[in-house]
Order: sequence, then C-alpha cells, then structure tokens
Amino acid sequence: MKTVIKTQGLSKTYTNTAVPVEALKDISLEFKEGEFTAIVGPSGSGKTTFLNVIGGLDKPTKGNVIIDDVDIASMKESQLFDFRLKHIGFVFQAYNLIPVLTATENVSFIMLLQKRPKEEMNKRAKEMLEQVGLGDKLDVRPNKLSGGQQQRVAVARALASRPDFVLADEPTANLDTESAFNLLDIMARLNREENITLIFSTHDQRVIDRARRVIKLVDGAVDKDETFDRD
Amino acid sequence: MMLIKISWRNIWRNSARSLVIIVAIVLGVLGGNFSAAIRLGVERQNFRETVEHQVSHIQLHHPDFIANPEAHYRIEDGSKVAGDISELPEVAHVSPRIVFEGMAASANMNAGVRIKGVDPEAETAATDLGHLITDGSYFEETGRLPSVIIGKELAEELNTEVGSRIVLTFQDISGEMVSASFRIEGLYEVTSTAFEKRNLFVRKVDIEELIGKPEVITEIAVVLHDVDTYREVAEHLQESYPGTSVRHWADMQPSLYYSLEFLNQNLIWIVGLIILGVSFGLLNTILMSVLERVRELGILMAIGMKKTKVFGMIVLETTMLAIIGGVAGLGVSWGMIRYLNQRGMDISGFGGEGMGDFGYASVIHPELDPGFYFEVAVVIVAFAILAACYPAWKAIRFVPAEAVREE
Repeated sequence: MKTVIKTQGLSKTYTNTAVPVEALKDISLEFKEGEFTAIVGPSGSGKTTFLNVIGGLDKPTKGNVIIDDVDIASMKESQLFDFRLKHIGFVFQAYNLIPVLTATENVSFIMLLQKRPKEEMNKRAKEMLEQVGLGDKLDVRPNKLSGGQQQRVAVARALASRPDFVLADEPTANLDTESAFNLLDIMARLNREENITLIFSTHDQRVIDRARRVIKLVDGAVDKDETFDRD
Repeated sequence: MMLIKISWRNIWRNSARSLVIIVAIVLGVLGGNFSAAIRLGVERQNFRETVEHQVSHIQLHHPDFIANPEAHYRIEDGSKVAGDISELPEVAHVSPRIVFEGMAASANMNAGVRIKGVDPEAETAATDLGHLITDGSYFEETGRLPSVIIGKELAEELNTEVGSRIVLTFQDISGEMVSASFRIEGLYEVTSTAFEKRNLFVRKVDIEELIGKPEVITEIAVVLHDVDTYREVAEHLQESYPGTSVRHWADMQPSLYYSLEFLNQNLIWIVGLIILGVSFGLLNTILMSVLERVRELGILMAIGMKKTKVFGMIVLETTMLAIIGGVAGLGVSWGMIRYLNQRGMDISGFGGEGMGDFGYASVIHPELDPGFYFEVAVVIVAFAILAACYPAWKAIRFVPAEAVREE
C-alpha cells in the first residue's frame, strides 16, 4: 500500500508560554492509503498538535512531514493554503459549516475553491450528501440541522473533493451516542468505498473501537501503535 | 460568485445591526448632500441674482471711470462699440448705459444714488429689469415728466411711492450740476437690498436730452450665451478695445467668485468628512462581525480558502453595506433636494428676511449637479473599502489552527 503521510523525528515546542511546552517529541510514523487510524491519548497528550502539524495548520519545530513526496514542513504559508485545499480534508469538533450556505453549497465549497466545473461539483455534492443520509436536506442551512447532521455534512464536504487523506479532530465529541455511531458508520463505509485515509484524534472509546489502527500519544510521544482487524 | 453570495448572506446574518448601519449611512449621505445642496443653492442663487440681474457677465468702462465714476469718463464711440460687441457670436445681449453718481430727493427725504440711463429694451434683455417690477410699470408711460424706475427699498427710504415725483441731481459731462424731476413709474425688487437702495433707472434718451449731448455711453454691460466663456470673451474685448477697461463678473464680484470656486472644488470634501465619520461606524460594525466569526473564518482558512479571498470577502461585505446605504442615501437626498429645489425653502421665518442685506434670498432652492452624486458614490465606496481594511486585516491575522478551536 502506498504511504500517504510519513513523519520523521517530528517535534513541536510552544515557546509563547511562560514555560516552553514540548507538545510533540520525536514522532516518526507512516500512514498508508486507506487506513482508518485513531490518535488517542489524554488531554494535553499532543493529539490536536499532531493533526495540526500533519495537516499543515501548524509547523513543527523539528522534523519532516512528507506527503506526496513533498516535505510540507518547509513550505511557505501561501503554499500550505494550496496544499491543504488540494490534498487534505478536515472535520473539526463542531460548528464546521459555513452558516450562510446550504448543505449542498457547504459540500461544494472546497470543490469551488478548487475551481471544479459546476456540474461536477453539484453532482458530487448531491452524491455525497446522499451517501451520508442527507439526500433530503440538500437545500437546508446548518441552523436547521441537528449536531449529528451537521457533522455528516462536514464529513461529506471533507470527502467530496477526494483528498489524499482526511483529518478529523474529535468529530464525535459533541454528539450523542446514536449520532456518534451513525457518523462513525458513515465514515467507516466511506473509508472502505472511497479508499480515503482517515486519521482521527479522539478519546472517545466508540471511535477507538472502530479504528483499525490506534496510536496512543502520551506527553507528546508515541506510547503505543497497534493495528486491529475489524472486518 | 460564491464569494458575493456568502458576503451578501453574511451581512443579513444580523439584519438589525446591518439595518442600523445602513440607516446611519443614509442619514450621513442625506445630511451631507443636503447641507452641500443648500450651500451651493444659496451661492448659485446669489450668482444668478448678482450677475444676471445686476452686474452682467462683462462690463466695459473708460479706464478712469472705475475709480472715479463721473460721466465725462465716457467710452469713445460707445454706441459703435456696443453695436460691434452685440455682433459677436458669443454675445447674447448688450446694454449701453450712461451712469451718474447723484442724489435722489423726495418731498422730505434724500439719498445718494447711482443713476443709470438705459435703453429699456436692451436693459431688460440684459438684466431682466422689466420683469423685476413688482409695483407700477416699466417705461410704458410717456407723460409730462420722464419716468424713473427705483428699487423698493429706495422707495421706502425716500418715503415715496409709484406715481410720486422725485428730483434727481447730478453733475453732467462738463461738471455742471443738473437737477430734474422724474415720476416714479415702477418699483423693482432684487434680492440685494443694497442694490435696490442704490440703483435707479431712467431712459437714456431723457438723460441725453437733459445734458444736451446724445450718444454718451459710460458703461456697456455684456451678457454671454455661455457664462463659462467669460474669461476668453473678456480678454478678446480687452484686446479689441484697448482704450476701455474690460472686467468680467469674477473681477467685479471676487468674493462671489471665490466662494463658488471653493464650493466647486471642496464641496465633495465637506460631504466626504461626514461620510468619513459614518465609515467609522461601518468599521465598527464589520469589526464586530469579524470578531464574532473567528472560528468560522479559521475553518475557511484551514480548509484552503486563501487569505486574499478572506480579505476580499470582508471588503465585499463592507462595500455591499455601504452601497445599499449609499444608494438609498443618494436616492433619498436626490428626491428631497429636487422637491425643495422646485418648491423652495422659505427661511424668512428663521431670520432669513435679513439675508437680503447681504445679497442673499430668503427663499433657498437647494441644488446639486448630477455629477456630484456620482462623486459622493465614489467617496462612499472608497471610504467603505478603507473602513473594511482593518477588520479584513484582523481576519487574515487569525491563525487557523487556533481560530478553529475558538469557542
């Protein structure tokens, strides 16, 4: 399987605090195409920082992040904007959507920024919303959707542009159990069907139980890296 | 297109706040335009009154007449000069006059006056005098006594009225004192009470008969088809008649000229200052809106929306608000100014009667040139873009990784 992301000696130290904080310590990992990985660990273990660094939202203090044979750690900010747009899908904890756009417009948004043809955009957005079970909410704005439905739209948006991988930062944190399971089912199915690499940060056991690979971070370092056969 | 759609919908997310700023812009534009229209209307009215009814566009005199207005400083071949000038294509009307400084006396009062001997038809064509008569008639009578047309203010000062006799005394060309009785045939009214008190009109032929010399002309008033050509025509006349002193209205009324010039060049900045004030309100509104959307803007940048687009979106939102308010403000002010221009604003109840002492009318007709509305529109958009810069800059300074975690 093709390696999608490779980190080498990744470290991140925050110096804008009273005492410098080492959020990541010498992390070297590889993520293969189609993997469904959960990054777990207690609060402050560096989960979000790790996702931010491999997602090009933050720069490492040391080390490399190789994606598609390119070290994004050495990219300029403007290059990172383009890189994120073309290669990475994001799902955040909550309030992911643009409130003034309908579900279809939200899902189309990244493709619009990528300047995809309108017909392709609309077709793909509709297809993705149907896949996440929101085929009847195409023209509904986020404020008329439940929290779970909003996260499903966010997943549809992240996957619609067929990125190399999707990063999800605690996507179920604000969801009730039923909505969380529903979202996880959808993400697991899309992971299989679309063969898109999914990487989550979570301390939600429901997510951990679905992941085929679980990486545990403790104090910014990899404590465990386990693979499970869930099929 | 999507950026426009998002910006448009964003400004209506908090419709009450957007409406408040739109109303503020409307009121700012209305206030600015209205005060500008009053100022311009007053000055243009003053121009029309002063230039069209009193001094005309250009006047010719003997060079010494200006400092010493005596009739022996006459224009050589005045009638021929006046005739030749009237043939010029730029010239609409010419009124040749003989002017004396003198005294007007009624039965029990007297006043220093400027006596203007005119050709009634030429004078009306040049200054509209025949249509400014508010009591009596305009050189229609041919009775035993020659007619005189005097200002309403002078009539009050002399405590006299239409039909009464007054005695005019002045020095003739040879320096001899001449006195003659005239019958007041009509009273004229102009905005300037000073002009009314000072200037009276008699037939030129009656004066010529009194002084025993025909064809004496000390002043030629020239009215042009296009007032904007006054400088070129005045220069041309000065070259053609070097023995005369040619002055245009701006020479004769410098304060009026500079006042109009100032307004023409600076009126937009008077309105601009008001719009500048309003634009700080706009800045505040957009800044609030940006600070309420930290997380959303962070997500937009995280998923790949470039900072230039985020900046553009904020500028677009601000500009849209300004355009809505600006268009509404321009529309309302255009309607209001147009209505008041036709109807007139009578300010006599607010002490406006006294404005005549300064040459201003008590009924104001506010006016603005159509091009001025366009200039205001440009200023609104320019200030809106400037006002948007700070919130937009603030927005693109958000660090996506931090902004997406904002509560």
